[in-house]
Amino acid sequence: MKLKNALLGMAVMALAIPAAQAEEFTIGLSNGWVGSEWRTQMIEEAQAAAEKWKEKGVDVKVVVQSANVDVPGQIAHVRNFINQGVNAIIINPNSPTAFDPVFSQAKEDGILVISTDAEVSSQDALYVGIDQTNWAALSAKWLAETLKGKGQVVAINGVAGHPANEMRIAGYTSVFNQYPDIKVVNEVNANWDQAQGQQAMQNLLATYPDIDGVWVQDGMAAGAWRSLMDAGKAGQVAATGEIRKDFIDLWVKNDFNSGASVNPPGVMASALNVAVFMLQGRELKEPAAAGQYKNALYLPIPFINGDNVATVAKELEGKPGFYSYTSSLSIDEAEAYFK
Amino acid sequence: MTEAHALKTRMATLFRRFPFLPALGMLLLLFVLNGIAEPNSMTVRALKGVASTYLALVFLSVGQTFVVYTGDIDLSVGAILSLVNVSIVVIMSQLGGEPYVVLLALLVGILIGALCGLVNGFVVSGLRMQAIVATFATSILLSGIALWVLPVAGLPAPSLFWKVYGGRSYGIPNVFFFAVVLIAILAVLAKTSMVTKLLAVGNGQLSAYQSGLSVTRIRIYGYVICGVFAALAAFCITGDTASGDPLVGGAMTLSSVAAVVLGGTALSGGIGSAFGSAIGAIIIGLISSLVFYAGIPSEWQNLAQGATILVVLMLGVLASRRINQ
Repeated sequence: MKLKNALLGMAVMALAIPAAQAEEFTIGLSNGWVGSEWRTQMIEEAQAAAEKWKEKGVDVKVVVQSANVDVPGQIAHVRNFINQGVNAIIINPNSPTAFDPVFSQAKEDGILVISTDAEVSSQDALYVGIDQTNWAALSAKWLAETLKGKGQVVAINGVAGHPANEMRIAGYTSVFNQYPDIKVVNEVNANWDQAQGQQAMQNLLATYPDIDGVWVQDGMAAGAWRSLMDAGKAGQVAATGEIRKDFIDLWVKNDFNSGASVNPPGVMASALNVAVFMLQGRELKEPAAAGQYKNALYLPIPFINGDNVATVAKELEGKPGFYSYTSSLSIDEAEAYFK
Repeated sequence: MTEAHALKTRMATLFRRFPFLPALGMLLLLFVLNGIAEPNSMTVRALKGVASTYLALVFLSVGQTFVVYTGDIDLSVGAILSLVNVSIVVIMSQLGGEPYVVLLALLVGILIGALCGLVNGFVVSGLRMQAIVATFATSILLSGIALWVLPVAGLPAPSLFWKVYGGRSYGIPNVFFFAVVLIAILAVLAKTSMVTKLLAVGNGQLSAYQSGLSVTRIRIYGYVICGVFAALAAFCITGDTASGDPLVGGAMTLSSVAAVVLGGTALSGGIGSAFGSAIGAIIIGLISSLVFYAGIPSEWQNLAQGATILVVLMLGVLASRRINQ
């Protein structure tokens, strides 16, 4: 009897949801890894972006699941959101492919799914974020041009087999291939860990004492630069950098020869603004069809180099050292993508 | 007084026979709490979701149990899972998704699991290396092979595969049948002499040896069984994710150890139940759902989840200690 009542209650609730006010949306945010401040900032910026919709008369309620989980654990995140009856899910996914079945379930329930920061293969979702291949290509191009198209380069990468890592490798490889006099003498993995990045750089300097350039991914670049400074090479070598405030300060102070593509933590906030417009029934001017899975909407990638690093440093003044330089689509900027 | 004493003795016998009873209590409690926090989590559909998400961890934890029985540990289960996952997906996509190819892939998957277990068992028991270090090393080796088989996540599994896993027969979700089959297998296994031998080795290798058991061989068997279950877990992951990912299992290894302990199996070996580990795996899943449904702010979710697992562990230990006194 009780069960029957509970079931009836649920049925009533299910019926009641679409009847609620049109301008009230619940958006679930899922983050499957909490190992860096970047992810925390990503969620905080998305929450702040949701707040901003109040001024436009739209009530965007955000529910968050953020914890270190394995892939099934993050699939459970999505299932929890489905059970709760959210309108949209924005996810920073732990796997590019593993969510296909659960996203198709979400879609059956009329839930909009957007992935950010890492692309997903599901055709029931779309990706709003930066193009990781282009992210790497931009900084590789900077490095090649800084070296005037000639010299020995080493690369320090993240986790082998991680999709973003593989896209980034493809990105810089395609650029360096256009410069016949740039020789990539070694490529190593340092698992997006500063200490391992520092260690890798030390080893590389010991093996190749006369390298001219270092292409290193963010999350390890600060460590690599520390090794360069310890070896007294900071003035001679050009290397890619980070977007964290503590590194930017170091950069300005020591006048590094550095350049950094920005993977802004604001991508989730951008995705949220896009999601709200889609929930309002607006249509994209150009359907999201970019990328290897033909479901991506790529956002612009800011770039920091010697020309603008002082301005960036000023912008970041007063922020904590772990704060990342960020950018996101404002509500108006997001609206520009829609008809 | 004597009546109370008699009751206690009876309870003690009951708990010794079924070490998973405290875990079962916790499981029911968590279901109720989840239901209160989010009534929708009690629908058949939501329960199917729980089952299909955590069946892989259930199998992995069950496999881990057979190694822990002997007092060993297997830190490579996640890597075995990843390797089997990418291997079967690659086989199925190379040879097409026909039913007989799927069966062949499953067979190869089980063989790979068993082989990995054999390697682990040989290194730990044959070469007498410390289980925790040796299996950590093999886990790195196996992850390397998985990356070689499929360098980056992304190959889709044939639809036949995940449609069976996510589908229904006679209106009942297929995952429930798989769970029932698992319970049946466990019930049969628990009666076999193999489990008794594993537990005997865990109780004391020397005494087991002196009573005529081939300790080395039995420990290897434990690892082989574990490898086979890791392969079964990989089938579940492949069913639920419909794809190959060489890094998918990495984070699941420690969860499987936690599930084993939650289920009432002693890491020192000699006592425990595989059924308890299965319950432990579901408990871990329900805890993370509860943390969300209870509305814990995101920055506290990891902490709340860890603290809850600790509390559940302590309650289990306290309960069995009181009974055993």
